[in-house]
Amino acid sequence: MLKKIVISLLLLPLLLSASSAEYEQKIYQTIFSSLFPQKETLYVWSDTPKNSRLIDNVSLFTKTSDINKADILLLSKDRDIKKQTPIFVTNYKLLKSYKQSAIGGFYWKKGRPNIVLLKNNLMKNHISIPSHMQKYIEND
Amino acid sequence: MKTLFKIYVLIFVFIITSIIYLYVSLDKTQGILTDNINNLFISQAQEMSNNIQGEIVHYVPNHLYKILEKDIKLRHFLEQTLSPMINQSFQYIFVLYKDKDGSYRYLLDGSKEDKGEFSEKLNVEKKQWNSVYKNQKTDIFRHKKFATLWMTYLKPIVIDGKTEAIIAIDFSTKIPKNISEVLTPLNNIFYYIFIAVFIMLLILLYQTILNLKTKKESITDPLTKTYNRNYLKEILEHINIEKYQIIMLDIDHFKNVNDLYGHNIGDYVLRDIASLIQNEITSDDMFIRYGGEEFLLFIHKEKKGLDQANSIAENIRHTIQQHSFDYKESMLQITVSMGITCKPNHFKSISDAIKNADKMLYIAKRDGRNKVITQIDEDYVIDPTTQNLGINEIKDAIENSRLFCQYQALFSAKTGKITKYEALVRLKDSENTTVYPNRFITTVLHTNIYNQMTKEILHTVFSKIRQNRVAISVNLNFSDIINTDIFKIIIAKLEQNADFAPWLIVELLEYEVLEANEIFAENIKKIRSYGVKIAIDDFGAGFANYNVFQIIPIDIVKIDGSLIKNIDTSKKSKIIVQSIIVLTQELGIDTVAEFVHSKEVYEIVKSLGITTIQGFYLARPQDDLLIEK
Repeated sequence: MLKKIVISLLLLPLLLSASSAEYEQKIYQTIFSSLFPQKETLYVWSDTPKNSRLIDNVSLFTKTSDINKADILLLSKDRDIKKQTPIFVTNYKLLKSYKQSAIGGFYWKKGRPNIVLLKNNLMKNHISIPSHMQKYIEND
Repeated sequence: MKTLFKIYVLIFVFIITSIIYLYVSLDKTQGILTDNINNLFISQAQEMSNNIQGEIVHYVPNHLYKILEKDIKLRHFLEQTLSPMINQSFQYIFVLYKDKDGSYRYLLDGSKEDKGEFSEKLNVEKKQWNSVYKNQKTDIFRHKKFATLWMTYLKPIVIDGKTEAIIAIDFSTKIPKNISEVLTPLNNIFYYIFIAVFIMLLILLYQTILNLKTKKESITDPLTKTYNRNYLKEILEHINIEKYQIIMLDIDHFKNVNDLYGHNIGDYVLRDIASLIQNEITSDDMFIRYGGEEFLLFIHKEKKGLDQANSIAENIRHTIQQHSFDYKESMLQITVSMGITCKPNHFKSISDAIKNADKMLYIAKRDGRNKVITQIDEDYVIDPTTQNLGINEIKDAIENSRLFCQYQALFSAKTGKITKYEALVRLKDSENTTVYPNRFITTVLHTNIYNQMTKEILHTVFSKIRQNRVAISVNLNFSDIINTDIFKIIIAKLEQNADFAPWLIVELLEYEVLEANEIFAENIKKIRSYGVKIAIDDFGAGFANYNVFQIIPIDIVKIDGSLIKNIDTSKKSKIIVQSIIVLTQELGIDTVAEFVHSKEVYEIVKSLGITTIQGFYLARPQDDLLIEK
């Protein structure tokens, strides 16, 4: 009995982290299925291994290493991107950097999940925003 | 037993109540402690938020957003004042304003890490934030979705009646962890107490079950599953005897069942009889195995008449008589005798009432068995001369040579001379009064005293034969012949007195029940091989079975006294006697007519061709041989 309790306590952080990761995956699934309702598969190019793992676990996403083939670029670092492919970032700093090209971002702030969608860039990419996502829109 | 059970139940209830009380108390204490700690943190947060508000309003008395948007230095200064308040318990302290779209954005953030920029949007719990914004009242709410946040304290900054911003203080989840750590030792103490009490309860439960089981076993007869004498001893202390009638029951000829068929069948019969009796009584009655084949019943007489016990006893007697006791290949017919005390409360003690039922049982057995004798009349007095002697009294008599024989002479019908004697066992009680066998044989039957008595009688008879060279008969039961111990005694005496054995005559009683027994026949033949003559007693009474002549070698037939004593008045008796004489003459067997009490009877039996005559008319039993000169 004591052994089981000890094992449960050791596994608890792992279980909690798994739960947090799942929560994040659900948010990504919701955002992108809303932004790309016509697509069954979304080819995603990412710049960090952490994002690769995330892509693997979101059913809508298919990881691609060919940036030209990608439908969306998931960025966690500031890079010089020449492509016109829609960019989605994972922190607020990057969102400011890619203010002219990113369609939005998702990141944790003060322990809370934050979704930001940039209206102008979405329009540039001919992406319409469903009504339930309107609350996340930033105008510029 | 019921009291013991009540005590155990009380202990259980007390322990369970104590555990529940302890648990509720602990839960309550935990709640109070948690609330107190919460309140401590909340009051700290309240104080901090008041200070922050005071500081902000001091430097920015109005138009909060506009002034802070322009004055970066003032922003940094104010954020510097928030920063020291952040610690492990208060994870984030920040100030947000609400924009025209209803989104909340940073005005100030005291955090060094994960810092929000001025005007950066923060996704917050809008329901609570809007409520504070609108109502201009502080609020505190708990986070359920996010693992890192526990609670958030919100305080509106109201300037000129307008909510300009909201101060937010996020409580870290380390706070409940700390509370939990504080309470852990308390919880541990409770768990240890709980485990200890639980183990104690289990031990107590085990002990209780064990005690009840042992208690039940100690008062239950393992063979018949009835109560035993330990139970009787217990109930005698508190039974209300006015409510009961007492039946004492004994299985007829049970020793023969054991001797003939073995103890397995004996046990089977006991079990079966106990079960049959159990079916005839109710749960209000008490059923006790009193001795070997003796049972005692306390019949609850409430609402029923005086003859209730008698009616039940008759049902039992009838049921057992009708029942066939089948065991493997054996099929037995068993009867029981019963004595009843109807009014036990009229006796000095319950023991006396039981003794009285036992006396009634004795009468039932004496009067032929398979009977129920009830003592109804409260003034009924037992004739002291019919009371059995106690076993110690009998033992004492034997040890002090007060066991003796009387001898009744038997006369030749032809010559009128004495041809033999019948030895009749007697003993003197402590008052030197002669006691007849009906008052002591049943008491010692199946005991070593009975064996000793048989040995003494054979010794006395052989001494008499040795001295007088006369034929003497002794009475032996069927059970004596098949009982290994008694048979050994008989053979040993015959070996010691081999020269005088031909003078001995063995008169067999109750031979009709045993005819099919091979051991019996073999043992009789063995006895006869010493020259001993074999006589069968009381022939013609009961269900006389002629087959007995085929099974055992018989030298003498004693015609039943009930046929002889009224032979002068009963034509039927005379015809029966004549037929027996014809039979015995054909088989070459001598006949004895006993109970010859008058000249008339004497003349008739003499004329019928009887070989030997015995009776008070000719000679009464004497302490010594009636030697003719």
